[in-house]
Amino acid sequence: MPAFDMHIILKILGIAFAGGVIGLDRTAVGQFMISQPIVVGPLTGWMLGEPAAGIIVGAALELIWVLDMPVGTFVPADATIGTVSATAIAALGAPYGATLPLIGFSILLSTAMVTMTMKAEGAVRTWNSRFSEKALSISGPHTGSALFRAQCAGIALFFLKSFVLYCIFIPLGIAATGLYRHLPSAFPRALSLFVKLLPLVGVALVVRKLTVKSFDQYVLAGFATAVLFGQLMHVPGVVVLLLTAAVGLIGVRYSERRS
Amino acid sequence: MNGDRDTIGITDLLAAFGRALFLQASWSFEQMQTAGFAYAIEPVLKKLYPDPAEYENRVKLHSEYFNTQPYFASFILGAAIRLEQDRATGRNAAADVSGFKAAMMAPLGALGDSFFWGALKPMAAVAAVAVAMDGSWWAPVLFLVLFNIWHLGLRLGMLFWGYTSGGDAVALMARYRFTKMARRFKVISLAMLGGILGMMQLWRVEFRPPLSSQPVALSLSGFFITLVLVAIMRRGGSPVKFMLGLAVFCLALAYAGVI
Repeated sequence: MPAFDMHIILKILGIAFAGGVIGLDRTAVGQFMISQPIVVGPLTGWMLGEPAAGIIVGAALELIWVLDMPVGTFVPADATIGTVSATAIAALGAPYGATLPLIGFSILLSTAMVTMTMKAEGAVRTWNSRFSEKALSISGPHTGSALFRAQCAGIALFFLKSFVLYCIFIPLGIAATGLYRHLPSAFPRALSLFVKLLPLVGVALVVRKLTVKSFDQYVLAGFATAVLFGQLMHVPGVVVLLLTAAVGLIGVRYSERRS
Repeated sequence: MNGDRDTIGITDLLAAFGRALFLQASWSFEQMQTAGFAYAIEPVLKKLYPDPAEYENRVKLHSEYFNTQPYFASFILGAAIRLEQDRATGRNAAADVSGFKAAMMAPLGALGDSFFWGALKPMAAVAAVAVAMDGSWWAPVLFLVLFNIWHLGLRLGMLFWGYTSGGDAVALMARYRFTKMARRFKVISLAMLGGILGMMQLWRVEFRPPLSSQPVALSLSGFFITLVLVAIMRRGGSPVKFMLGLAVFCLALAYAGVI
């Protein structure tokens, strides 16, 4: 079991603080999407000296959660807490660097946290109504400062929720990596494959939400373009990506003109 | 008494924009964005209504229930400022700000959810993940730039458009063509998702599944697995269930000796 020395505790508190601040971007402040897995994963990994683990976790979870939308009163899963926790557990739970099976194990742990993050978010939003109701009931010249206090209280509550959850999840996850080492040898093999297949699940989830067709012509056109230019003509990956985007745009404009 | 009533200038609008970034700071299930909207418009009301009783009445009016897509709220905010200004100066003393807000928030909310959460965000995410899978470190930067060029441009633009047009939503739709843009973004995302599958041999080694050593066969296998996954997902289920299902499937393969 990894030792919880002062160095590790400080790192956990630092990540919990940074994660709490970045998490405000999800709902409370700005919504510039800094809190998205593809951003916050590499950022956490970089802060903990494991940028590769951060990119793997962020890229794997981005497509999984990108279309979990905050519509109406629906509270989506907190992908930010999941990504930061998974990256931190993978980085801090491995004394000699985060391995692929350990990253898979951390991602699975973060999946188990989803229900708790949604409940905590729901509790914050319920509690927030007290602040806003109080502010909106105040009349007279102090209305402005009452509204300001309600906004500040809401931000503090959103931050505290994330901070406390990180302080619970990350140490528990690091402790769980001690158990992970005693698992049968089939587990690391399975967890490696889990990480390798996760992007396919992410792609399928996004395709399912973006189109009603199971076999979409634009997915096929992008695929054929990538195989042709990327594999047969060895064009660099970024150029292939631009070409697939161009094929999509040309296709949709053609379809618009026909209709 | 009404010396400031005609002086709603660019600084007032920018200040309202800055406050609108905190629209959801005290988001709650009952009040939703009500306190955030009142907080954003309050300084303008203070400037327009020097009479305390009148100011209090107008703040009370903006304490009525409000909820829409947070970025599209800028349009309603800009228009509400203009209507309040027209009312305060007597240009349109009967301006129904409350009715305007109530009429606009639901349709703009639906349009905004579909455009920003359902089309722009997935497109930026798919492009960034494609770059991350390729092994590039600048995937998070690409995501933030792609998303925020549109997000910030439209959020700020819609505030000024709402103000100058006095809330002409039809002109807003004609100007920005959100539905058409959303469809294009979705199709580009689908084509890039196909591109991601077609470039599997270029994926980071951590993500490359051991399906085949031959590049084209590897991509074809990934493509067909994704199609099967989409068909399975059409029967319903949450991302958590799919991730846990994948983990169990990988474990079964490991115990069966396939991997």
